[in-house]
Amino acid sequence: MLPRFDLLRPTTVAEAVGCLSEESVPYCGGTELLLAMRAGLYRPSALVDIKRVPELRGIRLRDGVLSIGAATSHRVVALDALVRGQLPMLATVEQGVGNARVRAQGSVGGNLCFAEPKSDLATALVAYEASVSLTSAGGTREVLVSELIQGAYFADKEPDELLVSIEIPLPGDHDAVYLKYQTMERPTVGVAVMNDRSGRRCRVVVGAVGEVPVVWEGTDPSEVVPDEIAELVDPVVDLTGSARYKRHVTAVYVRRALRALEGSHPS
Amino acid sequence: MIEAVSFLPITLTVNGVEVTRVVEPRTLLADFVRDDLGLTGTKVSCRLQVCGACTVLVDDLPVSACTYLAVDADGADVRTVEGLSDGENLHPLQEAFVEKFALQCGFCTPGFLMMSKALATENPTADRAEIIEHLEGNICRCTGYRPIVEAVECALARMRKVPSE
Repeated sequence: MLPRFDLLRPTTVAEAVGCLSEESVPYCGGTELLLAMRAGLYRPSALVDIKRVPELRGIRLRDGVLSIGAATSHRVVALDALVRGQLPMLATVEQGVGNARVRAQGSVGGNLCFAEPKSDLATALVAYEASVSLTSAGGTREVLVSELIQGAYFADKEPDELLVSIEIPLPGDHDAVYLKYQTMERPTVGVAVMNDRSGRRCRVVVGAVGEVPVVWEGTDPSEVVPDEIAELVDPVVDLTGSARYKRHVTAVYVRRALRALEGSHPS
Repeated sequence: MIEAVSFLPITLTVNGVEVTRVVEPRTLLADFVRDDLGLTGTKVSCRLQVCGACTVLVDDLPVSACTYLAVDADGADVRTVEGLSDGENLHPLQEAFVEKFALQCGFCTPGFLMMSKALATENPTADRAEIIEHLEGNICRCTGYRPIVEAVECALARMRKVPSE
């Protein structure tokens, strides 16, 4: 059984922000929050249910930026026509998050706020150089996902701030792939490669092996040396493997991701 | 100012029957259907959204009832394993599970059935690989999974021929 708490149900972002405090926290799908509360790791006195705030839902394209409302579920993102058309790699990532129940319940905003080190979504969003919009009574600030994720379960978000949306600048002519290796509930390694041909930029992001996603940047995939990227990561030793093992699978999956990238663009 | 509430009334449909109760926000859907409604077919095991034993459908989508607040089901159409058959005949999924020996101890079965029902609704033409992928989030310690996958494959094929359910 969960500890006792009160429930608040705002219907606008302004109302929701007005409800937030150290003790009164945003609640959406509960796939992370309720587990933490049941384990006794977290004991807020009230949950602010943001599911009734229409502004926090849905996916829109504005001025070359795809904006995903924080309360949108993984399932909705995975099936969305705009996402599938513009950012197919993100759709694939979202189709593979957790399991079908987690995808139906869990929200994209919650996933980022919890800064779960093995988040597929965070790795993919860092590859796209996405940012999030954080709103409090004092105003709104934009933070890159790569800066939001500060450490394991530690996001750069104040208790009075609400993550309102994820903003993904649409790349021009690009290919992107995400490959992960997973034997348990969460991945051992997740590798996202984003090759923006029109901008002559290539990013390789490795998630899940360490506390935060690690980024390599260059101009072309041909410059990527998988073994060097394996040296860049800072593995956390856990049930998914030792540091040496994780560096090994990092190199293997970077190599495979590069091969898949070539396959995705035969020309 | 938004009011904080410690108890609230909910009205939902469970297996086609409308129920109204007053619950605490912390009440979990699994406890609600098992303890308040006496529908003990839904099993609770890992409490981590990993094993799938507690799967029920909320508006046709599969959720882990062990980690889903009953207040979030207010106004929703909830279906548990008790609502799978029509009361007279087994659902094609249940029939196939029996035929293919897709269970031994049976503890995971309600969850597998409800996950499979969700798949039948969303993707009635799912192939073997898609079935396996969809059921990845459910754990069975008896069968080795193969009979379960075969049962779902068989049931989906039959349901395509007779699209009544």
